[in-house]
Amino acid sequence: MSEKSKAEPTSRRNFLRNGTRIAAMTGLGALGGVLASRSQAENWVWQIDPQKCLRCGNCATKCVLEQSAVKCVHAFAMCGYCNLCTGYFEPEPNALTTAAENQLCPTAAIKRTFIEDPYYEYTIDENLCIGCAKCVEGCNRFGNGSLFLQIRHDRCVHCNECAIARTCPGDAFRRVPASQPYLLKTTHAH
Amino acid sequence: MRKEFQLHDRREFLGNAIKGAALLTALPSVRARAAERAGVNPFAYDLSRLEKTDPKLISHEEVRRWRVSHSDARRIALAPDGQLLVAAGNYLTAFSAEGERGFEIALTEPARAIAATDDGLIYVGVRDHIEVFDAKGQRKATWDSPAKKTWFTALALNGNDVFAADSGNRVILRYDRSGKIVARLGAKNKERNIPGFIVPSPYLDVEIARDGLLRVNNPGRHRVEVYTPDGDFELAWGTASMGITGFCGCCNPINLALLPDGRCVTCEKGLPRVKIYNERGEFESVVAGPEMFPENARACASKGLGDCTQGGLDAVADAQERVFVLDLVTSDVRVMQRKA
Repeated sequence: MSEKSKAEPTSRRNFLRNGTRIAAMTGLGALGGVLASRSQAENWVWQIDPQKCLRCGNCATKCVLEQSAVKCVHAFAMCGYCNLCTGYFEPEPNALTTAAENQLCPTAAIKRTFIEDPYYEYTIDENLCIGCAKCVEGCNRFGNGSLFLQIRHDRCVHCNECAIARTCPGDAFRRVPASQPYLLKTTHAH
Repeated sequence: MRKEFQLHDRREFLGNAIKGAALLTALPSVRARAAERAGVNPFAYDLSRLEKTDPKLISHEEVRRWRVSHSDARRIALAPDGQLLVAAGNYLTAFSAEGERGFEIALTEPARAIAATDDGLIYVGVRDHIEVFDAKGQRKATWDSPAKKTWFTALALNGNDVFAADSGNRVILRYDRSGKIVARLGAKNKERNIPGFIVPSPYLDVEIARDGLLRVNNPGRHRVEVYTPDGDFELAWGTASMGITGFCGCCNPINLALLPDGRCVTCEKGLPRVKIYNERGEFESVVAGPEMFPENARACASKGLGDCTQGGLDAVADAQERVFVLDLVTSDVRVMQRKA
């Protein structure tokens, strides 16, 4: 009995073979773990913090895309639906009409729709918007800032080093989780 | 015929050398100017031509300036004894016209509206309700909030009536002195030809003129409207314009004051300016133009932190026609006196 319990001496070949097997199994396990954790990890995307945006115009000119991925968006819950919208009209319009010379937007990307006297709704045509923030400045300058800029992720190519973020004077660009890709404005706390 | 470059004498040589050196010296500054030009925002929203006032139109000059003791100044009012009452932060503070601080009342919330009576009572609009204090700062009464979205922005007193501007519900509430609502004024009503108030941001003011009629700003319609105490719409004046004679932006004027002879003082935001209109609503003069309030203008412009709901001015006028202008951004009170 005591002779059987005695372990047989391991040969060098067996020792190396077993060691290799254990190392391979451990490596595979670790690789599987890393892959599993990566598949669950959050992706991050660029976004503009509207509270920091200085409406400098860089979003229209610095993006790597021919037409910037930054677009004006509209918080309808905040909007005053003003007849004289300073985001839509030139500072001194000839008349409050949709005539081109009265519009502030250089690409006529804002659509003005009559709701009821004296309210009008303003919607952004993202195919025309170049993200210049001229309307955003007009809205903030006199109104409550319901127009603001956001990166549209159906267009953004997710550069590792965003060309606009690099030149943003307000440091308004930051990375946000891809599951919550927008930094939206809500109703104003007076 | 093309002229050939040829030197004839030493003087011409030296002259040309000096011209060349001057040109080389000027080149970098030309280049810098070009670069500066290249850095300018091609989409800038330019109001610079409107930020300076024609000196001929300015009727008042600043004779004194003082700062209120707390930040977040919102309203200024004149008490019957001549003291100025300023609501700033969670405090209501009394000042003399020279800026000497008087009594102070601590409040639980920021005050947005003030009015004082001859008998020493002070009515304070605190967000959604009204509180009544005696001259010693003791709370005498608290009136219930009248509606869900109530946001008081102005109070005016006339005999037994207390008129309160509720910007949240876009009405002027007429209370009696016991705190009972007697009437709701200014709500849209086609049958009574009442257009309704358009209030995109929380600025709705009410004043009572010497003719007993109410002056109420309607910022979304860029005008001042006149109502009877019973709520009948009498008339309106004012036009939308960035120019000095009109009211600028989406929603102005934001606040009103009345001179002893009934002329109206209007305050605007965005382009912060204070102007006087006669009783017929015709533009008369400028008390203070945008150039006097650079920080206030910046609060709404690109360099500001947010939008224009934090900027603006308030004003009150005394019996000597001095206009006290409260800057809501810097919390300064400027005493404006008519020029000699």
